[in-house]
Amino acid sequence: MRRCPRDIGLILVLMAVLAGFAAAQSGATSPEEETTSQEEVSQETASQEEASQEESTSVLPEGYSCVVCHSKAGELWSEETPVVEEQDVVTDLHWQKGLLCHDCHGGSPEIAQFKNHRDDPDFRSVRSRGAIPAFCGHCHSDISYMRQYNPSARTDQEAEYWTSGHGLRLKASMEAAEAADTDARQGARAPQDADGNEAVEEGSGETQATLPGEDGGAPEEQGGEGEVPLDLAVATCVDCHSHHNIRAIKDTNSPVFPTHVGETCARCHSDEKLMAGRFYNDRPLRHDQYEMWRNSVHGIALLEKGDLSAPTCNDCHGNHGALPPGVDSVANACGTCHGKVAKLFAGAQMKHKFEEAGLPGCATCHGNHETREPTDDMLGMGDQSICQQCHNQDNPQLGATLAGAETARAMRTQLEELKQEIGAAESKIQEAERLGMMVQGPRFDLREAFDALTEARTQVHSFQLEPLQAALGEGLQVTAKVQQTAEAALREHTRRRIWLASSLIPLVIVVGILLLFIRTLPTANSVS
Amino acid sequence: MSQVYQFLRHRLGLGIFEYLAQKKRVPVHSCTHFYFLGGMALFLFSVQIVTGILLSLYYKPSPDQAFESVRAIMTEVDFGWLMRSAHSWSANLLVGILFLHLLTTYMMGAYRKPRELIWCTGVLLLGLFLAFGFSGYLLPWNQLAFFATRVGTAIVGVVPVVGDELLLIARSGEDVTGDTLARFYALHVVVIPLCTFALLAMHLFMVQEHGMSVPRCATERLGRDEEFPSMPFVPHFLMRDMVGWYLALGLLAALAAIFPWELGEKAEPFGSAPEGIKPEWYFLFMFQLLKLLPAHIGPFEGEVVGVLFFGVCGAIVLCVPFLDRGPRSRQILNGLALLSVVFFIVMTAWGWFSRPDQLVLRVALAGFLTFLVTVLAVPFVAPGTPKRQALYGLIGLSLVGCLVALGWDAFR
Repeated sequence: MRRCPRDIGLILVLMAVLAGFAAAQSGATSPEEETTSQEEVSQETASQEEASQEESTSVLPEGYSCVVCHSKAGELWSEETPVVEEQDVVTDLHWQKGLLCHDCHGGSPEIAQFKNHRDDPDFRSVRSRGAIPAFCGHCHSDISYMRQYNPSARTDQEAEYWTSGHGLRLKASMEAAEAADTDARQGARAPQDADGNEAVEEGSGETQATLPGEDGGAPEEQGGEGEVPLDLAVATCVDCHSHHNIRAIKDTNSPVFPTHVGETCARCHSDEKLMAGRFYNDRPLRHDQYEMWRNSVHGIALLEKGDLSAPTCNDCHGNHGALPPGVDSVANACGTCHGKVAKLFAGAQMKHKFEEAGLPGCATCHGNHETREPTDDMLGMGDQSICQQCHNQDNPQLGATLAGAETARAMRTQLEELKQEIGAAESKIQEAERLGMMVQGPRFDLREAFDALTEARTQVHSFQLEPLQAALGEGLQVTAKVQQTAEAALREHTRRRIWLASSLIPLVIVVGILLLFIRTLPTANSVS
Repeated sequence: MSQVYQFLRHRLGLGIFEYLAQKKRVPVHSCTHFYFLGGMALFLFSVQIVTGILLSLYYKPSPDQAFESVRAIMTEVDFGWLMRSAHSWSANLLVGILFLHLLTTYMMGAYRKPRELIWCTGVLLLGLFLAFGFSGYLLPWNQLAFFATRVGTAIVGVVPVVGDELLLIARSGEDVTGDTLARFYALHVVVIPLCTFALLAMHLFMVQEHGMSVPRCATERLGRDEEFPSMPFVPHFLMRDMVGWYLALGLLAALAAIFPWELGEKAEPFGSAPEGIKPEWYFLFMFQLLKLLPAHIGPFEGEVVGVLFFGVCGAIVLCVPFLDRGPRSRQILNGLALLSVVFFIVMTAWGWFSRPDQLVLRVALAGFLTFLVTVLAVPFVAPGTPKRQALYGLIGLSLVGCLVALGWDAFR
């Protein structure tokens, strides 16, 4: 009795010792760890100081001429002078590559050799928006220059730009402006010659930043009907890439990174006021494309699911050479991603029918900017089908035939048949799984049926029944095999139960015999 | 036949077994049926050996092939599904039987002098069978097993002082990989079985040497051991034991056929852990407590305290024969044992139905487990006493609680 407290004491001592170990393990910090920690802190502080020193250090050489006028701290800065501070350009890709102001703008960087921009033949001015492509192209169209920075750099962007909707419009506007300027000068000279007034200073009629149409308003018509509109408010390099904050395309903050391209284009193309009065191929430009695309299957994939392979504006329209794809090239644009479908469509008789009717290929059924996820309801002759819009029995459109209606109906019916078979197979697999049977094999095989269904849906774009039936046939074979396997698993389950029952019977008999035998044995009390 | 036996008897020395069989007697009292638990455990262990050997003929212990080989066993090998299911079910039944064996042995006081080492080897055997379960759990290389093993081995890492080294040894690296699988396989089929055979031999030898213990309650009621009515081990007890074995065999076959052990999905080490990940039921009480512990308890990390707590508990259980030194210490031990059983039941029920919306099911399971344990306690309490009445009340209460909870869950 007296030993008990001592026993409890022993237990408590044991627990205390183990708790001590725990404290040593979790709470204590060794001197080595403390030293390491202090070293890390001091290193981190030093690196922060270095970083701040680097940030505060200008990369511009001493006496750099541009800052004298274009920095607010410059000696000759005035309210009229455009300001570009060094911190404004540090994120620019060019700046990070070591290119300074004069590398793009020309002129002398040394204050001692500085000349007025107007008098400096080396200075490259950007006096109008029309000059921007050539300004950028000065380097970006020069392969020997670009090779220094990237051996595989493209140098065709400027050339491409002049073929784009933006470039064509800009070029036409510039030519019209030049013609107007020439007319104005000639008009001015005549009176001079006649009246002997002072000659008009050369360049006074040069297109300036306030050219008509450049303020964001509707383009002005020059001359009479059929004249080229004077429209300089079209996108140039800087509108998409910015000017002093140009980032690499792979930079996620770049306005031309895939997830930002839509917003970048929408800055102009969603501006109702800006788009008003502008036409392409005699059709007014819309301003709702971005909204439509954002809600499309492509927009959702890119913006919500983060799928960078999903197409944005430039994937269908091009980027530097941006133009809406023509009626006959829509399928090719879509085909850059949907290759197999485009190939089937290109070989289909329907393509020619579409072209004859002026229908824009894929976009006819799937829409262009607002491309919705396709469903099987689009096929066939149901209320929601696309086919019945033309292959209407009562009111066929665009030369659509009733035979086409029958094909569409048959396609839909047979697709539904495979879907039903897949459903039935899936149901049997689930039943077998519920009963604890191993059916991973047939479940895996069933994927082939889904693949066949996808293939059949693709074959719809051949507009022929036979290829679709071939794909469906493969799927039906798979579903039949899967259903057989699942049924075999269900039979096996039944067989196991029968086996169980039949094996339990002899067990029960043996137990019964044993119990009977035990009863014959003498009882415990009588056993000595 | 007799001539063959005589031939073998002389050459193999079977006479000693004849002598032991004739000599060995089993006391007869109200708790005699608890003696069957040891034999039942031995039978299930032999099922483990047979099914394990058959499974090892087809199993391939590599991360690329383990899952596929188990799937092939279950789908392509004749009666492979039966072997695997019987192996898994018998392992679980075995651990359950061992827990009951431990509990009833404690209640019978069968660890008393000179049987202290029988108790110690028995506790160590229970530890080995838990190790069997833990190492075997990973072998199918499925999602649940992979992540449960990752969590389980991580607990080893919080052991004070040597945790990091133990973790490296357990995993054969920083994380659970193919090396861990190979290591667990070696442990499961070589190391742990060898240790088990050695300990089991000692355990059985000592049981044979010292005979069956008579519980305190029976001794107090009827007098000293020698005066007890008893039956011969062969054939009286053996026949009864065999009835139990056959019933266990039938139960195993039924469980394997009606509830085949599922395989799940193949492990994806770089995937995310599946929802509701939990270990085998016999580790749930530990798992649940470690989950509930706060990050820090005073100056200590919560997990460290939890691991130390279970370490101390294990040490106390192992040392029970040496801590029981009189009525006072026995009272303390009984209190601790009662607390342990309550703790095991509550934590297991909580861990099994861990979602907040499963509170009713949690109560049902706790009620069922309480019912089982209280039924076991009946033979230890003298009939007609207030204690026996209280016990009946508790049995009824737990059963009613279980049924009401189940009904509530079914109809809500």
